[in-house]
Amino acid sequence: MTTSTERSTSNRRQRRKVNIKWAQAFKQAPWRGQIQTAGLFMLSLVVIIVIASIYLSISGRAASAGLSAYRLNAERQTLERQIADRKAKIAVLTSVTLMEQRAKDMGFERISSTDAIYVMVPGYPGKQAVVLAAPPGINESSRSLVLPIYRHSIWDWLFQGINRLSESVGGGA
Amino acid sequence: MMTFFLQLNRIKILGIFLSLFIILIGFQMIRIQVSTHADTLDSWASNYGTEVRTIQSERGYIYDRGGHLLAGNKEVYELGVELQYVRNPVAIATAMASIFGSDYNTILTSVSTPYDATGSVYVTLLNFLPLDQIDKLDALKRQYEDANPYGQNPDLPSLRGLVWTPHLQRVYPEGNLASNILGFYTYYDRDKGKGYFGVEEKYDNLLAGIKQKVVIPLDPYEMQEIPTAPAGASLVLTIDREIQRTVEKILDKAVKNNGAKNGTIIVENPKTGDIIAMASTPRLDPNTYWDYEKLFPAGTSYNMAVSQVYEPGSVFKVLTMAGALDSGAVKWDTPFTDTGIIEVGGWPIYNWDRGAWGNQNMIGCMQHSLNVCLSWIALEMGPDKFYEYMDRFGIGHRTNIDMANEEVYPLSEPGDPMWYSINLATNSFGQGVAVTPIQLIMAASAIANDGKMMAPHILHSYIQNGQQYKTNPQVVGAPISKETADILTEMLAISLEQEASDALVEGYRVAGKTGTAEIAVNGQYSSGKTNASFVGWGPVDDPQFIVYVWLEQPKSSIWGSVVAAPVFRDVVKELVVLMNIPPDDLRKSLAAGQ
Repeated sequence: MTTSTERSTSNRRQRRKVNIKWAQAFKQAPWRGQIQTAGLFMLSLVVIIVIASIYLSISGRAASAGLSAYRLNAERQTLERQIADRKAKIAVLTSVTLMEQRAKDMGFERISSTDAIYVMVPGYPGKQAVVLAAPPGINESSRSLVLPIYRHSIWDWLFQGINRLSESVGGGA
Repeated sequence: MMTFFLQLNRIKILGIFLSLFIILIGFQMIRIQVSTHADTLDSWASNYGTEVRTIQSERGYIYDRGGHLLAGNKEVYELGVELQYVRNPVAIATAMASIFGSDYNTILTSVSTPYDATGSVYVTLLNFLPLDQIDKLDALKRQYEDANPYGQNPDLPSLRGLVWTPHLQRVYPEGNLASNILGFYTYYDRDKGKGYFGVEEKYDNLLAGIKQKVVIPLDPYEMQEIPTAPAGASLVLTIDREIQRTVEKILDKAVKNNGAKNGTIIVENPKTGDIIAMASTPRLDPNTYWDYEKLFPAGTSYNMAVSQVYEPGSVFKVLTMAGALDSGAVKWDTPFTDTGIIEVGGWPIYNWDRGAWGNQNMIGCMQHSLNVCLSWIALEMGPDKFYEYMDRFGIGHRTNIDMANEEVYPLSEPGDPMWYSINLATNSFGQGVAVTPIQLIMAASAIANDGKMMAPHILHSYIQNGQQYKTNPQVVGAPISKETADILTEMLAISLEQEASDALVEGYRVAGKTGTAEIAVNGQYSSGKTNASFVGWGPVDDPQFIVYVWLEQPKSSIWGSVVAAPVFRDVVKELVVLMNIPPDDLRKSLAAGQ
């Protein structure tokens, strides 16, 4: 009896031991669980940091581009004024009165009709009126200087991408 | 409590602090949104978030047909003080007085205006200053700033608060060249400046471009294309500046030498109606347009060529003869016996010399400019035909040349209360009828252009939005046939040659007619005061130019043949060189050998 009792106790212990061994085989060690949690947290943190960095980078570049646009606009206005001013200065320096005086100072004389020697130049159409710009045709000026892609925010880009994707998945018309 | 914290590990404590920090940030955000200062902050954001800017486009340029700039814009500066930043008004007033010669006390009073954020913020001191003067001021300001940074020491000079802003000012690089064509722009009035006279007035809207107020976001995140006002359209005129300059010199000399009150010369291409040159006296330098009232007292036209009507006299006979030939009333060889007098409506008509010129044909009538003959011709035509032809030639109508202030005098016709039967006779030789020089040259150009009358115009093309639009010549009528035009041109060329006129030019065959018109003073014609004129064109076989000369009240001689014909010759002698027109013989031989 005693022997059988001891055997049955020994069997239970044996089973328990087996059970314990089985349970331990499927349970993470505490430190591993902590590492996984920390890893997931770090992963989400990295994702957030990456998104934030991208957002900050793009925002910074957008702000920088905006400031550059203002600065370039001011620079363009300055250049336009300077170009106008230079044109006026050149016109003064090459005005007919000054040019005539310079020609006289250099020893040139006004030619008379009897002194002129005329030569027929084939293909020469004679004095023509000036052409200062292209004739009417393609209207280049109506085109926007800033391409549409540079006016999109990251959200515009994202939402448009999602829309396009949903349309393609949904088989939109 | 202490036990609670002791039971927590370091990570949990850090978590709690961070959570509290985030809650605090959230709380602060909500507090800012609902605080009583939220509206103020919002209004600040609105004020600093956008800027309302007035965009004034640059006024368009004006070029001659060769691309030489006749009207442009130069950079000048407005000088003012931002009262908030002024540190030393005395130093500013002293600097202004020494550099610009400004009145010290006036400047000191202006600069000493107390700053008021709701009112006095900025005071304009001077305007339209050139860059070199601004450079001097800038150097002085820097020198003071180095010695007294931020103007902190009130005992040392400082020009802080003094600011200058660049802007454009209308400029006419050629001075008074073609000023009667260009007009002027009142640039001193920066808000309401506008063009007066000539093309500046006629094309004011086109040149001015756009003036608009725009709201510009200052937030760089809201970057967008900053609106710009496209520059006003630029004009390319039909005139040639060398020819214009030459014609002006000849006119000035003629007016001076002949003691004339004023004068005008028009050079036109009869085939296109292009005005190649148009000179009048007096001429204003449009850079100093405020001299206008001094130069042009009441009654003086800015541009006689388009704005002054007058009785043209015998040059008008060209139109009478053209109508008569075209209607078949006479032929070139129709004989006429001039007795020196003809009675019309009970009034006697005499020749210019009160003489009788005997047997003539129509060439002789034109050569000797016989009033009696032309009166007879008009009677032969009859009033209906005569006035029909005058109407066809545009007499009594505006030419609609694209220049401001064109005048017109109505032509009295049968049935009008002011018309009497003698008018038919006097009108035939250019008395009792009034025209502008541009009207007359347009009418005469029909004879030089195979009977087709071209609209006179000054605009060759305009440039807008980077594209050049050319204007096309317009035929405004064909008052006579090509045959009539050819015959009359030949008659006029022969009459000049037979007369050995002062209008003849060696090597070039020209056609033309002199005119001497008595001027009515208090309703009576005064033989001592005349309008001397000449209209002519050439070369006869292929007219490239038509020239009209009018000298008002010359004193050296009253006769057009004496004072106006030589001016025509002088102009043509220069024209043929500047327009590259070889002498007739050479031109024909070159053309034949082509």
